[in-house]
Amino acid sequence: MGHTSLEKIISLQRNPANIRNLCILAHVDHGKTTLADCLVASNGIISSRLAGKLRYLDSREDEQLRGITMKSSAISLHYSHGDQEYLLNLIDSPGHVDFSSEVSTAVRLCDGAVVVVDAVEGVCPQTQVVLRQAWLENIRPVLVINKIDRLVVELKLTSQEAYTHLKKILEQVNAVTGTLFTSKVLEERAGKEEEEKEGEKSSGDQVYDWSAGLEEVDDSHLYFSPDQGNVVFASAIDGWGFSIRHFAHIYSERMGIKEEVLLKTLWGDFYLSMKAKRIMKGAQVTQLGGLFVFTFFSLSPRPGRIQPHVGIKQEARPSDPASADLICLTLRCNVGRVVCLDFVLLLKQLAVCLTLFLHSWCFPAFLQCSSEEDAPVIVFVSKMFAVDAKALPQHRQRPLTQEEIAERREQARRRHADRMAAESHREPSHSESPEEEEEAKETFVAFARVYSGVVRKGQRVFVLGPKYDPAQSLSTVSPPLGCSASDDVSEIPHLSRCSMENLYLLMGRELEELQEVPAGNVLGIGGLEEFVLKSATLSTSPACPPFTPLNFEATPIVRVAIEPKHPSEMPKLVRGMRLLNQADPCAEVLIQETGEHVLVTAGEVHLQRCLDDLRERFAKIEISASEPIIPFRETVVRPPKVDMVNEELGKQQKVAIIHQVKEASQGRSSDTLHLDSSGLVTLTTPNRLATVGVRAIPLPQEATRLLESSSEVIRTLEQVNMSLREGKSLDISVRSLEAISDLKAQLESLLQGRKWRNAVERIWAFGPRRYGPNILLNSVEGYQRPSVWQCLSRGDKASEATALRDFDNSVVSGFQLAALSGPMCEEPLMGVCFSVERWDVQSAAPPQRQDSVEEDSTRHEATPESNVEGSSETSARVEGAAAGQSHARRRPEVAASSDCYGPVSGQLIAAVKEACRHAFQAQPQRLMAAMYTCEIMATADVLGRVYGVLGKREGRVLHEEMKEGTDMFTIKAVLPVAESFGFADEIRKRTSGLASPQLVFSHWEVISSDPYWVPTTEEEYLHFGEKADSENQALKYMNAVRRRKGLYVEEKIVEHAEKQRTLGKNK
Amino acid sequence: MSIFTPTNQIRLTNVAVVRMKKGGKRFEIACYKNKVMSWRSGAEKDLDEVLQTHSVFVNVSKGQVAKKDDLTKAFGTDDLTEICKQILAKGELQVSDKERQTQLETMFRDIATIVAEKCVNPETKRPYTVSLIERAMKDIHYSVKPNKSTKQQALEVIRQLKESMEIQRAHMRLRLVLPAKEAKRLKEKLKPLLQVVESEDFDEELEMVCLVDPGCFREIDELIRCETRGRGSLEVLSLKDVEEGDEKL
Repeated sequence: MGHTSLEKIISLQRNPANIRNLCILAHVDHGKTTLADCLVASNGIISSRLAGKLRYLDSREDEQLRGITMKSSAISLHYSHGDQEYLLNLIDSPGHVDFSSEVSTAVRLCDGAVVVVDAVEGVCPQTQVVLRQAWLENIRPVLVINKIDRLVVELKLTSQEAYTHLKKILEQVNAVTGTLFTSKVLEERAGKEEEEKEGEKSSGDQVYDWSAGLEEVDDSHLYFSPDQGNVVFASAIDGWGFSIRHFAHIYSERMGIKEEVLLKTLWGDFYLSMKAKRIMKGAQVTQLGGLFVFTFFSLSPRPGRIQPHVGIKQEARPSDPASADLICLTLRCNVGRVVCLDFVLLLKQLAVCLTLFLHSWCFPAFLQCSSEEDAPVIVFVSKMFAVDAKALPQHRQRPLTQEEIAERREQARRRHADRMAAESHREPSHSESPEEEEEAKETFVAFARVYSGVVRKGQRVFVLGPKYDPAQSLSTVSPPLGCSASDDVSEIPHLSRCSMENLYLLMGRELEELQEVPAGNVLGIGGLEEFVLKSATLSTSPACPPFTPLNFEATPIVRVAIEPKHPSEMPKLVRGMRLLNQADPCAEVLIQETGEHVLVTAGEVHLQRCLDDLRERFAKIEISASEPIIPFRETVVRPPKVDMVNEELGKQQKVAIIHQVKEASQGRSSDTLHLDSSGLVTLTTPNRLATVGVRAIPLPQEATRLLESSSEVIRTLEQVNMSLREGKSLDISVRSLEAISDLKAQLESLLQGRKWRNAVERIWAFGPRRYGPNILLNSVEGYQRPSVWQCLSRGDKASEATALRDFDNSVVSGFQLAALSGPMCEEPLMGVCFSVERWDVQSAAPPQRQDSVEEDSTRHEATPESNVEGSSETSARVEGAAAGQSHARRRPEVAASSDCYGPVSGQLIAAVKEACRHAFQAQPQRLMAAMYTCEIMATADVLGRVYGVLGKREGRVLHEEMKEGTDMFTIKAVLPVAESFGFADEIRKRTSGLASPQLVFSHWEVISSDPYWVPTTEEEYLHFGEKADSENQALKYMNAVRRRKGLYVEEKIVEHAEKQRTLGKNK
Repeated sequence: MSIFTPTNQIRLTNVAVVRMKKGGKRFEIACYKNKVMSWRSGAEKDLDEVLQTHSVFVNVSKGQVAKKDDLTKAFGTDDLTEICKQILAKGELQVSDKERQTQLETMFRDIATIVAEKCVNPETKRPYTVSLIERAMKDIHYSVKPNKSTKQQALEVIRQLKESMEIQRAHMRLRLVLPAKEAKRLKEKLKPLLQVVESEDFDEELEMVCLVDPGCFREIDELIRCETRGRGSLEVLSLKDVEEGDEKL
């Protein structure tokens, strides 16, 4: 077949009845791209000799290098069968699990799929996935059993064995389809039962009646079977393939048996009785299928190899002379034609399957796939892909005739002028810089399909986001359908307007420019990058409901932090990441609070591709990817009752802890610090004027959780308090007041018992940053300060009597600083309650003590609270600064009281902070790790391996259950974030891809081991030895964080003194 | 006295000498390299892993052991282990290569951590990561001075980094309340110190919310305190003006 011209394709595009959109799906390395090559070769785009070697649709450099497909790419092909001419829009998809998002985007645009299965390897994990995807998107698959030659060449099977083998593969594939079918039926039934319980009449599915259950549903049409004509046998690399139909045709001529009969009997338990010239049932030895297989095997010269192209070249050296002519006849058609043929026969009606996504009331035109001039345009964009601007047809050079050149020149001049004009329009928004131009080399082309109407170049359309609701816009825009795309639509959410600047015909790595595209075609649209992020629906009518978003099989889980090699290139990186986000349907990028730029990808290979893309196309800078920073929290727990070997503990453990703290505090001025055995820390400021006593108490877990989840409420509460203190009245909504009183009530119910009596009323502050999950408790005798809940009892005059003491704010600031960075590894605290039990100020200026209560209320209006918020600074410098400012607002005599130690308030902040830290250390300290919940879908046979990987990474399985109707298990587990790096990759490797995890952050969990633990009791010595060198998880984490932050790590530089290199360097 | 010829010259390898002068005499002990610092910090608890031998020398390289009389005179005891511990704790020594390396590395990290905490990217108002700062510090060839505090050096680093990348001290958000009388005059003086004035409210008093560089805080504080004689006030709304929460691109 010769090269098909563009004009031919354009003319074919006009007849939707003869358009076939199909994609090729399979497990990695089963021969998708090779098959695509054969089809491409049949159109004369590449030589048929090169088919299978060239991998025409793998246009990326790394695709060619690695030999795997990484993106889906489309090509339009022409095919004629009989007197009918067809247009095939073929989409090749990647098989690697990391790129299954690309498969989703491809499947969405198609009506049919070619599922390729390797004849030797059979059904592989990705085969199951793509079958499921095809099932979910409701498209018709055709099975191609590829690499048939391997059965002979590698496995050396006889024809009968090969036949059994192929039958087995068919059964496997059908089993997968069957599972999908049954699970759907069961789901439907479950749904139905629920509905019935609710007493509603369910409309159910229009096509099938599910209600009676599995056995009554006809599913035979779903299965692959050669006699149904949806199975093709092929060897794509050699370029041949056939379905049973071809043989039926040939045999019927030779044997005089009807073709229809043969079609039904050629594959199955039948044999040919030569005597009777009839086909008999129940063959055991020589089945017809065997004969069928035998026929194409007999192609091979006896001893072994099937020569490439032997069939097509017609000159095989058939060992069986009798069948020689048969074979020649058969194999004249190459694989491309066979596959096409099957499609043409199967997909009688275009676009029917996609009705699921659109409400049919809206557009009958959609169902008819109408290309009428007045039909509304509906286009679905499934992904955006980046194209080098040089590859666009506008910029490509090609040989032309003289007139054409002249014409082109004229056009080009005009286009150039247009572009210049467009650019000059755009100029104000873009700053003109050389970088900008550099970036412009990447243009985004939308990968889309027209479902209705005719798309024209330059047409204005609405862009409908996935969440767009037509009802909403119809109510605002009137009249509903008369609204044209040129109206202003800025006020409607998820709706914008754009014009399609360029339309392209996708021809693999090349693009051909088009003027208009009728319905039913796959096309590329240029000029949408500012309007469409990843996917969208385009329509000329705002009444069109958007397509449902794509369902991805793989969710992104591999997280890395990305940094430019040169810090000054940060803006380039950010821009590059933005582009990447748009170009890749499955990559996510985000900037974290720590300033990290995090890239989340579906797997390691995907990650590698994203990094390459960033380096070479989008950012064009050197970048480095590293493990993201893992956050921890610090907390205290109740003293344990048993030791590490589960022996009952007496007093000794407590003593040991206190001893340890004392050791730690040695070297500081221990005369100002006092620690009593109950954990109360008393600290005096350096000028000996103020003394604070603080005790750290672990909060109950539920209370911590409550505080963490209601940080928003606490923030509002804090704002209200601030404004109250300033004497202003802030209006707060009734709802937030309710939320606050709710929170209070819940806290009260959680903090019960003798220890917590009246604790909620006495809350002084929350921290860190004033809304964290730690509490400062006012247990100072005789100090009545206004409650944090005062906004609840507004107008209650009783609260007026209590007022703030001087330096109240310094205490809060000290607490905030202490809560922000704990003593273990300077990470924020969580779930700790600091109870201030003593606070004496022996000031040189007596009026500042408690007796200043009366004047306080008046003064505090003038001197509002200082607010040390959002601070992560622990330096003395800042404390000094903070001190300075509060100091500045004191009355002159306070200022006079400052001495060589600096202002009193500053000293108090430092003192409170230190006291909190010591009080914290006086309790058994623990590290808290962020945890992921991890949902794993796995088949029964890899369950053990999944458990192995989870166990190795400190994961804990919460529950597992079998999914009804399938052999898949759903395992729910928790896994520390710290252990999650490389987890997805490992679990995939260990289970050969049969288990796919999903990670979502869930909660903070206390790591049960004590990072400071050393053996203390006799039993522990016996069990762990003196050094306790069995691995301590908490210590490992703590030291990693300390090392990262440049804090001191108690570690020997050299473990064994004698084992150092003892020679000088020059010896 | 031994004669030092190349053949019988014994090189002391894997030996770190700790010296101490006491009672007019010099005492030395022979230790393993890279171990003395660990002992001093408390990470190493086994004395035998630190000391080559429990004897005290006058000169380690010559192998001259200190006399017992001198020891008792200087230390008041003749318990060699006890004396060794004293010398270990207080003596001077040449810091070994690995010890120095780890010390500098730790300081370098510490400086980078402080810089990362104090600074933001002015475009996004988000902090830089520590590893990025570390790389930037290496790019400008910053060398750590072991005898200066890390905080001082961090401020120095920020100044130097400003030349090569977009970096800025995180601003403080302040609220200034100035009495009406002096407001105009003071405002002129304050103007060069304020980076951004977010809001300005002039009725009875001038109330301003503004962002300032933390380095200017003392100056502003001083100015307001002196000029208004305690009538104006200054309040820190936040120490660090940074974006919070994660952002999706």
